[in-house]
Amino acid sequence: MNLSLPSHNSRGALLNLLLALADDELVLGHRDSEWTGHAPILEEDIAFSNIAQDEIGHSLVWLTLYEQLTGRTPDAMGFERKPEEFMCCRFVEYPKGDFAYTVVRQYLFDLAEKVRLESFLDSSFAVLGETAQKLLREESYHLLHASGLVERLGDATEESHRRMQAAIDVAFPQSLGMFEELEGEQELIDAGVFPGNKALLAGWLKQAVPFLRKVSLTPPVKGENESCTVLCPVDDGGRKGRHTEHLRGLIDDMQKVYRLAPGPNW
Amino acid sequence: MDTQWETYEVFHQSRRGEPHSYVGSVHAPDPHMALQLARDQFARRLQCVSLWVVRSGDITATDYQDDDFFARVTDKSYRDPKAFDAPDKLHPE
Repeated sequence: MNLSLPSHNSRGALLNLLLALADDELVLGHRDSEWTGHAPILEEDIAFSNIAQDEIGHSLVWLTLYEQLTGRTPDAMGFERKPEEFMCCRFVEYPKGDFAYTVVRQYLFDLAEKVRLESFLDSSFAVLGETAQKLLREESYHLLHASGLVERLGDATEESHRRMQAAIDVAFPQSLGMFEELEGEQELIDAGVFPGNKALLAGWLKQAVPFLRKVSLTPPVKGENESCTVLCPVDDGGRKGRHTEHLRGLIDDMQKVYRLAPGPNW
Repeated sequence: MDTQWETYEVFHQSRRGEPHSYVGSVHAPDPHMALQLARDQFARRLQCVSLWVVRSGDITATDYQDDDFFARVTDKSYRDPKAFDAPDKLHPE
């Protein structure tokens, strides 16, 4: 594997990018796993458990790459860090809510993930592109699953529409935090590592907005395509370590066993 | 209103050229969702190259009450292939 950096001064920012990717997947994977035994139907229970394992597996892929660059192991990164050292967006931290919120969050996240991974395909940091190509195979199924549910629930009944719209109202401002600028991001853009979060946000809006409108859901956005303007506040801060109060509980839960016996052999 | 989804019967193929075998059923709102959910239920661990789903209501089946349908009232042992060895391929079990 060729791990030579595209430019010397992009190293710090690149590590931030890898951690943001890994922590989003780890925390959302944990939230998805909370549906195990609780989803409204058995089939979705298993589907979400399956997706939870996939997301955590993707987190491991990014953390392994991080280890190759820094020497810090995935276990140490997952189980020894404090909440403020995590770089996930706040969006993935919120409690799982009702099934409508979960489905909407999963759709908005999976689409962002697809846009993000596709932007890595021609990265100057070759290993990013190779990894993206591998993960996209699973991520496109995740997106198919989530978008299938959004499509069907968006305007199925009065109740499903009401719940899905309520979920959009809550989730949309949170979801914009996925595209918060990383520290040192300009270095990565200049070095051709990825096009930057502004470009990713534009690519994401271009697909999410028409899709939601088609199924009678109204995102807080004016106009379409390139002239699209977001009308709601942005719930960000996660990439700078400013997290919701929910992250601490999740991490306590996730790290509980490890804290009892640090550095175990699984 | 009945909010229960319909069931779909799921058939799984582990390698191209092998027969699709029946593996179970899933609840789903339509055939496309049924395929996706069948993937999660039945193709997570088993190797799989193809899945079929069929709406359970679309299957025409015999009635257990109507056992005359399968009646064998006279000796039909002459129909059993007992006098020669069938190649293993015909008996994958």
